[in-house]
Amino acid sequence: MSDRVQLTIPGGRSAVSRPSVPRRARRQVFPVLLVLPAVTLLTAVLIYPLIGAVIDAFFDHNLLVSGRTFTGLDNLASAAKDLWPLLRTTLLFAVPATLLPFLIGLVAALGLNQRMRGRGILRSVLLVPWILPGVVVSFLWLWIFDANYGVLNGVLRSIGLIDSNVGWLDSGTGALLAVVVARCWSTFPWMMVMLLAGLQALPAGAIEAAHVDGANALQRFRFITWPSLRPVAGVVVLLEFMWNFQHFDTIYVLTGGGPARATTTFSLAVYETAFKGFDLGKASAIGLLWLAFLLPIVLIYLRITENKS
Amino acid sequence: MTIAPLPRSTFGRRRPGGPTDESGPVRWLRRTSLTFIALFGLAPAYWLVTTAIKPDGDVFEFPPRLIPSSLTLSHLSTVLGNHDVLRYLVNSLLVSSVTALGSVAIGSYCAYSFSKFRYRGRRTIMLTFLVSQLFPHVLLLTTMYALFSALGLLNTYLVLIIAFTTFTLPLCVWMLKGVFDGIPDEIIEAAKIDGAGQGVIIHRILLPLVRPGLVAAGMFAFIRGWNDFVFALTLSGDSTRTLPPGLVNTYLSESSNRWPELMAASLVCSLPVVLIFLLLQRHFVAGLSSGAVKA
Repeated sequence: MSDRVQLTIPGGRSAVSRPSVPRRARRQVFPVLLVLPAVTLLTAVLIYPLIGAVIDAFFDHNLLVSGRTFTGLDNLASAAKDLWPLLRTTLLFAVPATLLPFLIGLVAALGLNQRMRGRGILRSVLLVPWILPGVVVSFLWLWIFDANYGVLNGVLRSIGLIDSNVGWLDSGTGALLAVVVARCWSTFPWMMVMLLAGLQALPAGAIEAAHVDGANALQRFRFITWPSLRPVAGVVVLLEFMWNFQHFDTIYVLTGGGPARATTTFSLAVYETAFKGFDLGKASAIGLLWLAFLLPIVLIYLRITENKS
Repeated sequence: MTIAPLPRSTFGRRRPGGPTDESGPVRWLRRTSLTFIALFGLAPAYWLVTTAIKPDGDVFEFPPRLIPSSLTLSHLSTVLGNHDVLRYLVNSLLVSSVTALGSVAIGSYCAYSFSKFRYRGRRTIMLTFLVSQLFPHVLLLTTMYALFSALGLLNTYLVLIIAFTTFTLPLCVWMLKGVFDGIPDEIIEAAKIDGAGQGVIIHRILLPLVRPGLVAAGMFAFIRGWNDFVFALTLSGDSTRTLPPGLVNTYLSESSNRWPELMAASLVCSLPVVLIFLLLQRHFVAGLSSGAVKA
């Protein structure tokens, strides 16, 4: 799997030398002992809770009451009532929050792949939004979108696009726009870096040759750059979509899921049901439905990485 | 023999980026779009920093004053004088540092095993590590909460360290495996011929060789621990809360506008990770592109 993962981003790093001959350890116990602490932690903190959550979906389990009783499909039935609004909101967030950063990242990568003054600095500085804690990103955009003193209203008014202040976070559409923009700001740098890595793997001669042959910029992109960039593009879009599909921090802090549940995605719903409603059974049932939509994406991702080897 | 533990990234590399004699409209398009993107990327960060250091009068002026009339450190000192915020800061430093140490310690043994040994089940375990990153963490919270509550570990530093370490482990292992892959087997063979046991090989020979990789992986883990919100929010208590949930607690519920203070607090919360990032960005980008494994 290791080599597959590395190959998902062509050119991201130079080829590392693999052990020349696959060596079978004389005693198999030793290498297993080495992985044991990591495997134990992962099992206890990731795998066990995942299985536990799936099982919990079939029980009436309240955080405030010890013990749980089997209720069969009751939780799932009650969770299914909210399924469509939740799925709709999650997609309304995840799709634009994936495609917009991808487009911005692509344009930035294409722009920065050119030799020019200040390129190195621009690359580094543009990565800063990506490194900031999610909570800080939300605070910042909360302030930018502020209805009374927010800089967005100020700028839009001074260039004449709006006449009076807009309460961005007061309407469903505005709140959704706000979380998408905030998320976009913090993730396009990652897209940019990954696509830039893909671009640098492109043989420089190919572009030169096409240039000499008289291909214009659009043709060079369409027939040379894009085909070799497509595998990277596919993986980053898929991964980003997967992460957005389960994103929590920005939405929770920026809108809290509101107004009127307009930004309540699956992750917010699970969190609220579990830690505000204390209903672990129903929270797990929502999670189970959520997994049903996530699982195909995970499988596609694994297929893609598998095909690369 | 010289060994480069981490390949040079897209940052360090200087290479020609294609034809420089592009036509006018293309160059214009490139310049314009880059300018807009740079503006989109940098203007919010500029707004964060300036709001934190300009006087209240400027902050509550409309339309907003883009260039501060004067600068003040009063908001920063208010934030750092707040005992709660100070405690969160210390908690964050403590928990993230131990997380970094733990992830690197546990992760390097695991990565060494993945890199230099072949055994039954190895690929399955590695695949599980990868997949474990893809499932929603919020979903794991419910059972984790119940588990840690039953163990009496809620609201302790230990629970945060365990949780953060686990979540950073897969990434650390992937990064470090790449580093170990870069070390020729001959070194290990030679050491064995000289009679070195596995303990000596790992601790005396390999770990010193991969130290830059260990530092990079550790910094990764530190930043992930530092930035984590949702686990810290649910698993920590008043005395162990880290900065992100701490700041949400302190500032978000307030209806009064404390924007400059909030931005100053955000600055305090961001500075450590931004500094670490700027110091180690080359390793960062290498690690980023090496595994398609992030948050």
